[in-house]
Amino acid sequence: MAAGTNTELTEADVRAARRAIEACYAQGWSDGLPVVPPIQAFVDEFLAQTERDPDEVLVTQEHLDRSCTVRHAAINAVMAGCLPEYFPVLLAALDAFRGIGAGSGLLQSTTGQAPLLVVNGPIRARLGFNSAENIFGPGDRANATVGRALRLIIMNTLGIRPHEFDQSTHGTPLKYGCCIAENEEESPWEPLHVERGFAPEESTVTIQMTRSDLHVEHRGTQAPEEILLTIADSMSYAGGIYEAPPYNRTSGSIVVMCPEHAQIIARGGWSKQAVRQFLWEHFGKTKRELRRFGKIIDLEDEAEDTFIHTAQSPDAILLVVAGAANAGVSTVCSNFAWRNATAAIGPHPLPLSQSWARGEPG
Amino acid sequence: MADGTIFEKRGVPAAAIVTSRFIHTANMMARRHGFPDYRYAQVPHPIGNLTPEQVRERALAVLPDVLAILGLAGQDGELSPDEH
Repeated sequence: MAAGTNTELTEADVRAARRAIEACYAQGWSDGLPVVPPIQAFVDEFLAQTERDPDEVLVTQEHLDRSCTVRHAAINAVMAGCLPEYFPVLLAALDAFRGIGAGSGLLQSTTGQAPLLVVNGPIRARLGFNSAENIFGPGDRANATVGRALRLIIMNTLGIRPHEFDQSTHGTPLKYGCCIAENEEESPWEPLHVERGFAPEESTVTIQMTRSDLHVEHRGTQAPEEILLTIADSMSYAGGIYEAPPYNRTSGSIVVMCPEHAQIIARGGWSKQAVRQFLWEHFGKTKRELRRFGKIIDLEDEAEDTFIHTAQSPDAILLVVAGAANAGVSTVCSNFAWRNATAAIGPHPLPLSQSWARGEPG
Repeated sequence: MADGTIFEKRGVPAAAIVTSRFIHTANMMARRHGFPDYRYAQVPHPIGNLTPEQVRERALAVLPDVLAILGLAGQDGELSPDEH
């Protein structure tokens, strides 16, 4: 043990590490938090985790003349603090991101949306992605760093940074990174990726942009409709309604339902599709309510009691079961101009070096 | 801004109108597209909550700049005799 550090690292080692971290800050590569300094040797470790060509283009922002290759993704994954084994997950996230047009040009919008990632399949346990307690909070390396890597790519490689091309009015803390895993084991329904046609044993990443997350609680009922109405009301908050064409009524929502709520609802005979249908039917406000909030455009032909849907169909509602099964707390994540996509996580060409089942690092 | 520069590169005259809060981003976009001195028109921010009448007032106020950018106005902002 070295004096001054109480580890095998000398004080000189640690001072050098801090200088390297500061050098990365000076380059403008940080999201505000320290990044792991990227050197070629580290990047090579990540590139070895895939058979994809390092020069393969994953996502582009044509109007900015910027594109992200597999190599760029590896560099940012290093900086985010990912383990090399996470790299195929990040690549799948980027494949899904491309599937929604890499933000559809909205990465620079005043709305300030963040990409929300949902991981499904056996990869969750193999790499330690959290699907239970504190799902949106800190503490799990896989969740934190994969989500962060995507943000660093947007900032460093696509060049969309605040005070420059990122014009977010407020943004959201989710922009630091938002990656959750579905709690498939405690869900009464089929997981998201199976719903989308993937085999249960496949692993996937799903992406949808979101403006923010909203706490939704109902701890005192066993009635499914009371929970669902509470969730729908939370989805329909006035501040989440964008009233101007062409984006009015094209919003969506990501409903992250806790296992307790999901199990109560499923025991009441509700299927996943029935839940999404019900939520869509109650996602919005009447014309009279919209008038009260001053959010009334293009509704001249509608009666005052007409319910104005915020989303065009139940397809705009992504339903995921995640979180701990210890209380009736769910989350809704509002979305502007909804699109989502799911991509398969590619194989690891190398054997996983460690067992990263949660709490059991090898 | 990106649209304006892209139009110009394709030989289509264009006039971009930018609200005052986006000047910095507009200048960055112009530089990114290789037009560091790209000329555009400015209007006060915000415009999203204006009434139709207020929008018309803003449009009339910025019209001389737009015409000048498009090469359709004289020094006094009037249309050239052969333009309508």
